[in-house]
Amino acid sequence: MFDGLKDKLSNFREDAEEVAEENAEELADQPDDEAADTEAAAADSAPEDAPATADAAAPATEPAGEQPDADDEESSAGFVSRAASMARGRVVIDEADLEAPLRELEFALLESDVEMSVVEEILDQIRGDLVGEERKFTESTDTLIEDALREALLSVIDVGQFDLVDEIESASKPVTIVFTGVNGVGKTTTIAKLARYLESEGFSSVLANGDTYRAGANQQIEEHAEALGVKCITHEQGGDPTAVVYDAVEYADANDVDVVLGDTAGRLHTSDDLMSQLEKLDRVVDPDVTVFVDEAVAGQDAVNRAREFDEASAVDGTILTMADADSQGGAAISVSHVTGKPILFLGTGQAYEDLEPFDPDALVDDLLAASDD
Amino acid sequence: MVLDDLGSSLRGTLDTLRGKSRISEEDVDKVVKEIQRSLLQADVDVDLVMDLSESITERSLEEEPPGGTSARDHVLRIVYEELVGLVGDSTPIPLEEQTIMLAGLQGSGKTTTAAKMAWWFSKKGLRPAIVQTDTFRPGAYEQAAEMADRAEVDFYGEPDSDDPVQIARDGLAATADADVHIVDTAGRHALEDDLIAEIEEIEGVVEPDRSLLVLDAAIGQGAKQQARQFDASVGIDGVAITKLDGTAKGGGSLTAVNETDSTIAFLGSGETVQDIERFEPDSFISRLLGMGDLKQLTERVERAMEETQDDDEDWDPEDLMKGEFTLHDMQKQMQAMDNMGPLDQVMDMIPGMGGGLMDELPDDAMDVTQERMRGFEVIMDSMTEAEMADPRSVGASQIRRIARGSGQPEDRVRELLDQHKMMAQTMQQFQGMGDGDMQRMMSKMQQQGGGGGGGFGGMF
Repeated sequence: MFDGLKDKLSNFREDAEEVAEENAEELADQPDDEAADTEAAAADSAPEDAPATADAAAPATEPAGEQPDADDEESSAGFVSRAASMARGRVVIDEADLEAPLRELEFALLESDVEMSVVEEILDQIRGDLVGEERKFTESTDTLIEDALREALLSVIDVGQFDLVDEIESASKPVTIVFTGVNGVGKTTTIAKLARYLESEGFSSVLANGDTYRAGANQQIEEHAEALGVKCITHEQGGDPTAVVYDAVEYADANDVDVVLGDTAGRLHTSDDLMSQLEKLDRVVDPDVTVFVDEAVAGQDAVNRAREFDEASAVDGTILTMADADSQGGAAISVSHVTGKPILFLGTGQAYEDLEPFDPDALVDDLLAASDD
Repeated sequence: MVLDDLGSSLRGTLDTLRGKSRISEEDVDKVVKEIQRSLLQADVDVDLVMDLSESITERSLEEEPPGGTSARDHVLRIVYEELVGLVGDSTPIPLEEQTIMLAGLQGSGKTTTAAKMAWWFSKKGLRPAIVQTDTFRPGAYEQAAEMADRAEVDFYGEPDSDDPVQIARDGLAATADADVHIVDTAGRHALEDDLIAEIEEIEGVVEPDRSLLVLDAAIGQGAKQQARQFDASVGIDGVAITKLDGTAKGGGSLTAVNETDSTIAFLGSGETVQDIERFEPDSFISRLLGMGDLKQLTERVERAMEETQDDDEDWDPEDLMKGEFTLHDMQKQMQAMDNMGPLDQVMDMIPGMGGGLMDELPDDAMDVTQERMRGFEVIMDSMTEAEMADPRSVGASQIRRIARGSGQPEDRVRELLDQHKMMAQTMQQFQGMGDGDMQRMMSKMQQQGGGGGGGFGGMF
């Protein structure tokens, strides 16, 4: 789903690299062509060699992936200075030179549905990493740009990733998972998919239909339950969603079921009474995990919703649906940034199997792989 | 509402031009940047935003403002014209026999929109029927059947079939008596080739007079690709935007109409079948630029008046225009106001009340006002027939009795009487206008300074 963003990022990299390259030529110690060639050839093995040859001077080649907890200050002072000991050349990038590529990046991110304030944060970080002070670089100026981009992306998207299955494994049973989100994002379908996924991981589950509002909601989830061969607890339409989930937990307790998957009615975050209903559910049921569900095609508003839902019932992780319908992927970046909680899965189709665990490192690697081709 | 933030931010930026007669490149740059920002935050397609801002810049600098026009008005006019050009007209929906097919992504709100549109057509005196062809999503049949029931319209669906094309064929035949057929389809997206082929087949059988793309107001830049694909497959004649009661701005709809060369038909903003409005470009732009939304307010008022009248055969809103304005009339007016929907929505349409002014009111101002109106209702229930007909005769001891009877403070009762007095005076002013044409009444109020919220002006 991130192909669009990938293409656009590579444009920025080319332009920014050009800027860095131009500046580097003015300042670097003009290594002759031959030397540059041999060093470039040697560069392939550099990542493995680096820690060994320069362990005292901090590892130069593994940026944020290793340290998701690094705070902003640290990351923006960042990797470039850590790379200093390996220097092959020097570069000072002038802010004015970088403005055009950065503006291009700004629009690339906006076009990919990354929310505006998140875009600004990414740009600020890259600007802070690249502009001004003299930078030394090891292989070529290209890595400066790539690393700056990688660092900036990871800092917004890599927020304490955890494995849901591990969580369930180690928690006392039954584990209660409640799903929240606005209307029509695919909460019920996601629950059905997750029930299938958990089954394949060896966990039993029971569904609870906390959507006592929408017409046809009981029929929808009951059909899923039947197809999946799991028990489903429902109440009459108009009932109390908290009571439904509560009943399901009791059922799971009595029947040794591992996981309770609690659906809720879709609600717009502007609906005060429905949001306080959600707060009540959160208070009374006290779920082990609250999963916020949103659709990958959502635009700028994804941030507002995520924030409001997080406030009503603290979100532990997000599942983005309809990832197969979207080539942008910006919603993933915005939502994980604003909730400070990871994307757990992507929904990628209409079949029960279409649920993929999300891996931010792999995603960023993939996004940055484009221009290496 | 669509792009409502543009309204306030644009007003702010344009205000910096106030008093200037010449406009510099820098000024235009600032305005255009603000417009870009607002449009992008509203999810309008990036390319479209660039095109729009380019022509605004160009025209603002090149076109000579007509004599006597301030720089602010000059730019405002250009922005207005460009936006009107972008938004286009409302999709023509003739009130006659027709078949409408709905298409869109999963979860965009097609089934709810089908029921809302059916309700809308039935209010216009036509007989609509909904044909539900979503055989894929569990519970789709039950949902559609119940929504149709709520809208009190004909419905056709086959819960156990898995052939949407056959259902469409059977459904049209089974509901042949209906004037308007609304064919609901399963959600699908542009990249699902088999489902796109399926909707093409349904379209072949249904032969719709118009196909509407149903779009979630929250959709992002992906709107472009989706709209393009649906247009290529079934031909999109108009767009229905849903979930506008959230905070999403619906800019994806502008992208979609631009991409499909179509227009916006309906706006959905709530979970009940009544929460639907026709898209009106005038209203849209006026509201956008902070000039109020007279047309939609008028329609709401008239609809609410009719509903209130339906409840009570003896009462005719036209009577307000002649004779004594009694508490009965005030009670009816309050009911009518209630029928118009949440107060803040209504206020947003009143010239001078929406946008900037609403921003300045405390968040709970509308709740407080609504609370007060509830209090008034209870008080009026505790009054005698004679008191209602002649509120001026109510004295201190009666006020005490009414307050006790209604459980409201005496001050509240006095407030009600004062309010009535003020409204009676206002109504007297309008009585000279002849017929009860609401639009004229509203525009007259606008001339009177724009701040008055109708007969309830004193309440704010």
